[in-house]
Amino acid sequence: MNRHATIWLWRAASFAVAASFIALWQLIANLKLVSPVFLPGPDRAWASLVRGFSNGDLWSKLAGTLEHMAYGWLAASIAGIAIGAIIGSSRIMRTYVAPSLEFLRPLPVSAIIPVAIAMLGLTQAMALFVIAFGAIWPIMLATIHGFAAVEPRLYEVARSLQMSRLAVIFKVALPSASPDILAGMRLSLTVALILSVVCEILAGLDGLGHWVLLSARAFRSADLFAGVILLGVTGYVTSVAMSMAEHRLLAWQASQR
Amino acid sequence: MANAAKRFEVIPGQPRPQIAFTEVTLQLGGKTIIENLSLGVRAGEFLCVVGASGCGKTTALRLAAGLYQPTSGRVDFDGQLMLHPRREIAIVFQDYGKALLPWRTAAGNVSLALEAGGMPSAERPARIEELLRTVGLPGHAGKYPAEMSGGMQQRLQIARCLAQEPKTLLMDEPFGALDAMTRQGLQDEVLALVAASGATVIFVTHDLDEAIYLGDRVIGLLPHPGRIGIELAVNLPRPRDQLSTREHPEFLRLRRQLFDFIKATEQ
Repeated sequence: MNRHATIWLWRAASFAVAASFIALWQLIANLKLVSPVFLPGPDRAWASLVRGFSNGDLWSKLAGTLEHMAYGWLAASIAGIAIGAIIGSSRIMRTYVAPSLEFLRPLPVSAIIPVAIAMLGLTQAMALFVIAFGAIWPIMLATIHGFAAVEPRLYEVARSLQMSRLAVIFKVALPSASPDILAGMRLSLTVALILSVVCEILAGLDGLGHWVLLSARAFRSADLFAGVILLGVTGYVTSVAMSMAEHRLLAWQASQR
Repeated sequence: MANAAKRFEVIPGQPRPQIAFTEVTLQLGGKTIIENLSLGVRAGEFLCVVGASGCGKTTALRLAAGLYQPTSGRVDFDGQLMLHPRREIAIVFQDYGKALLPWRTAAGNVSLALEAGGMPSAERPARIEELLRTVGLPGHAGKYPAEMSGGMQQRLQIARCLAQEPKTLLMDEPFGALDAMTRQGLQDEVLALVAASGATVIFVTHDLDEAIYLGDRVIGLLPHPGRIGIELAVNLPRPRDQLSTREHPEFLRLRRQLFDFIKATEQ
């Protein structure tokens, strides 16, 4: 009971902090410490959000961004888990491929964008490639680690049960690596959102990135802030959803802690 | 002592041993772990293997399981060269915590062996329940291994091994990490299970009393490299009893003999 009360107190305190930030923002805007052309108050940003949703503009932009993010992330997840599983389950593969990975991994994705544009043009395919390329690394590396760290005793159990290779992957290795894989997928979610916005800005693809860019160019600061807030909410909500999925899928881990 | 190793020979008219080691030598990383080991285990026999640490007890068990291949010599199971592990041979590992799937419940862990054996999913629940009852875990089907005590986890591993319907049960110090009371209880349960199933058992232990209490025969290995140093037939009446068997004069005689052997190997 006491612990419960403490949790609520913390929650209330964190809300109070957020509320005071918004109040401070409103105060700065009202006092016109920054020109209203560049900084709208939270009231104007909120009004713009409401307007954008009621006339449908923001819905379509949000849908565009979510679509880019989801396709890129899913492609990265499928490819990352598959490649990571192949590399991670073989020591020989790890030895051969690791140096190449070490070269590719720290490569900034922004360096890949001009290459992608040159090859694929300012298209959805370019965006998908760039997002997937950026988001694949955390997933792939986590999968390699997860597969390499499977308890060897479990492989011996699998051998003595004469399980097929496919059964070993799906019943032993993949579940054992799942905490690592899901953690990698959560990291990649953020990367996918960032790259979605970047691609929309660079290639003029329909989405919140494009909306933010056009609003800034037209000095519609309220619309600009509405877009930024919506991107923040998107990041937050997807991350919370991912955490909830992780919690459910890894319920067995709760008993180990 | 070194020359006390007995050669295993097929005696005409005698049934073929279920597991046969013929002049088995195993080298790992340039070191000879086991040298010229010959040994036959009859179907239905309960063989205990003891020895100082580093004498290759566990390695011998892994050879019998098909997890290792000998450098020279051969291991046969039912007259067939052992080239890989097989489902008729179940292994109970000492580290039960590592040998169970932590993401599967007790029922799920038993199910793994049934799935590997190709049992249709409709038949599994009844069989799982029966196996969990056999090892004294009824009502724990929905628990994860991490929610169970060490003794319960080891019971669960035994249940999974029984689900393989093994002809041979290989046990690698299965009760080494358990407290004395739990251990005695499990010893008697294993004896009852084995008597009921008729399985052959190779039981590795460092506990000499346990070896004599359980076995039909006890083999003591000599270290560096591992080879047979002593072989004792245990002619104690069955069913065995924790009190009267351990007080039996024959038990005490064998115990003395085995202790002297181990003491000599440690010098």
